[in-house]
Amino acid sequence: MTADSSSLPVTRKRVTQHLFDNPVVLKELRGRMRGARAFTVLTVYLLMLGAFTSLIYVAVAESSVSTSGQVNIGEIGRTLFGGIVAVEMLLVSFIAPAFTAGAISGEREHQTYDLLRTTLLPAYSLVLGKLLSSMLYVLLLLLAAIPLQSIAFFFGGVAETEVILAFVILAFTAMLFSTIGLYFSARTSRTLSASVMTYSAAIFFTFGVPLLLGTVILIAGPSLDFGSSTAQIILLYTIGAILCINPAATALFTQYVLLNYQTIGTFPYTLSSGQTITLISPWIPFVIIYSVLTLMFFVLSVRRVNRVEV
Amino acid sequence: MASQEFIIETKDLVKRYGKLIAVNNLSLQVPRGAIYGFVGPNGAGKTTTMRILTTLITPSAGNASVAGYSVTEYPREVRRAIGYMPDFFGVYDDMKVWEYLDFFAACYEIPERKRPALITDLLALVDLTHRRDDMVEKLSRGMKQRLSLARTLAHDPEVLILDEPASGLDPRARIEIRELLVELASMGKTIFFSSHILADVAEICTHLGIIESGQLVAQGTVGEIRRQLLPTREITITLLDRVDEAKEVIAAIEGVQSVNDLAEEHGRKRIRVDFAGDDTGVSAMLKALSSREIPVVNFSEETRDLEAVFMRATKGIVS
Repeated sequence: MTADSSSLPVTRKRVTQHLFDNPVVLKELRGRMRGARAFTVLTVYLLMLGAFTSLIYVAVAESSVSTSGQVNIGEIGRTLFGGIVAVEMLLVSFIAPAFTAGAISGEREHQTYDLLRTTLLPAYSLVLGKLLSSMLYVLLLLLAAIPLQSIAFFFGGVAETEVILAFVILAFTAMLFSTIGLYFSARTSRTLSASVMTYSAAIFFTFGVPLLLGTVILIAGPSLDFGSSTAQIILLYTIGAILCINPAATALFTQYVLLNYQTIGTFPYTLSSGQTITLISPWIPFVIIYSVLTLMFFVLSVRRVNRVEV
Repeated sequence: MASQEFIIETKDLVKRYGKLIAVNNLSLQVPRGAIYGFVGPNGAGKTTTMRILTTLITPSAGNASVAGYSVTEYPREVRRAIGYMPDFFGVYDDMKVWEYLDFFAACYEIPERKRPALITDLLALVDLTHRRDDMVEKLSRGMKQRLSLARTLAHDPEVLILDEPASGLDPRARIEIRELLVELASMGKTIFFSSHILADVAEICTHLGIIESGQLVAQGTVGEIRRQLLPTREITITLLDRVDEAKEVIAAIEGVQSVNDLAEEHGRKRIRVDFAGDDTGVSAMLKALSSREIPVVNFSEETRDLEAVFMRATKGIVS
């Protein structure tokens, strides 16, 4: 026990040391937080989010008065929360890559890339530093929005679990999209083309996947044989897996599962044939898929940076 | 490891880009402690060679080593030994002068507690102490160049590899950089720098390597190169009269290779002597003239500068 408690601060120190010993993190944060710009961005972001929240409130407060004259307060809370998370998701999907798409190509454009490559800074430190500094800023935006999210608590209808899960899904989305930005930034010499590629990938994950899935189901749906329950199970799992690539779908279905099955883990699902199978709350496969993809793009970026020009 | 004679050594170095051969069988040796001027016309392969030495690109064939380490096998040790300044300023926006040095010092794994003192020293060395808190992009070109030089020194490397350190600078800034290089050499650093302007190089370097079309045309100490490429001295004699007699007398002296007439200048006759001997020969020449009372008005040796060496060594071919 004593060994455990004494080793804990050491590990913690090591983690923070790695974070702030990384020269790139320090440099990026110094630059990004300097002067009025960081303050302005944060203020504008919060003002817009605040305005949007008010708009939802006005709209929902009107419509949630039931016929009996009772106000469904919980519904107001849920809608507010959902709206804010949706805006944050858009933001994370398209701001996070913007920070990283220029991270390495920008070094090339500033002609500092060669300088860095001749220092002792390892390639993974450069990539990790760029990723961390971008993530820290996204984290700041997400944390700054928590008070607004918390307004939903006044109305009820939202559990802490939902807030935490929403945060987890947002954070993993930010992480993957940032890493994809880094990867394209390491691959191309121009920030512009890196941005285009990164946004294409982000659009694919956010809008492309559901669109594709919808199209496939629409076209192939009628010809699918639901007669056998095995086919139905396979189809259910496949669609589920594809949905878990999309952050919005993951968030929606996770909340659906939470509300209807009161769980964030596994739950039994009864098919039309009467057979019962076990399904997983989508946020779990989502986190796994996104972690694996993040790691993959990270390794690819490091390899790209490490490559000596031939 | 620290005692090897040549701190930079390449052997039959080749770098091909498709059909283009940027560096062709280059074998150069930079002695420890030298100020080595690497001279050649634009496009001769200077930057390519330096990029190989700084581990940024790999050679197509041949070997290169810095401080005893092969650039392909031990890139990290090589990076530790060199300070590299490319032919452009790598400058970040949004960064103060001290932060710039702090960042690169950190990239060279210098512990945080040692950095403030180091930055103070470096800024004093390049005379930028008063600009410590200014933004990097606000500095003049010459100051940026000096800051770059300070950056290369952050980890106290043995060798500085500087690509065109004086290009694009005004005369004052150029002189300042030159003085800095001499000062750094006196601190024990080996300096390997390139230039396409020989005048920049001539005054300060101890060794020269002349490159053209990827090949080393000549290499050695400045004196060696001068002798190698310009074996003769050129003496101009201005006479009032008796030119033919003078020519006869001089032609008889050992070491004189040719005597030619030059155009008359203000009615004075002039001859040019190509002479391969030493100073005693020159003195004998003057003595022979005066003992015959040939009216010499002026007797002078043209100091052929390195520019002439350069013009003779290179043919202006750029691959």
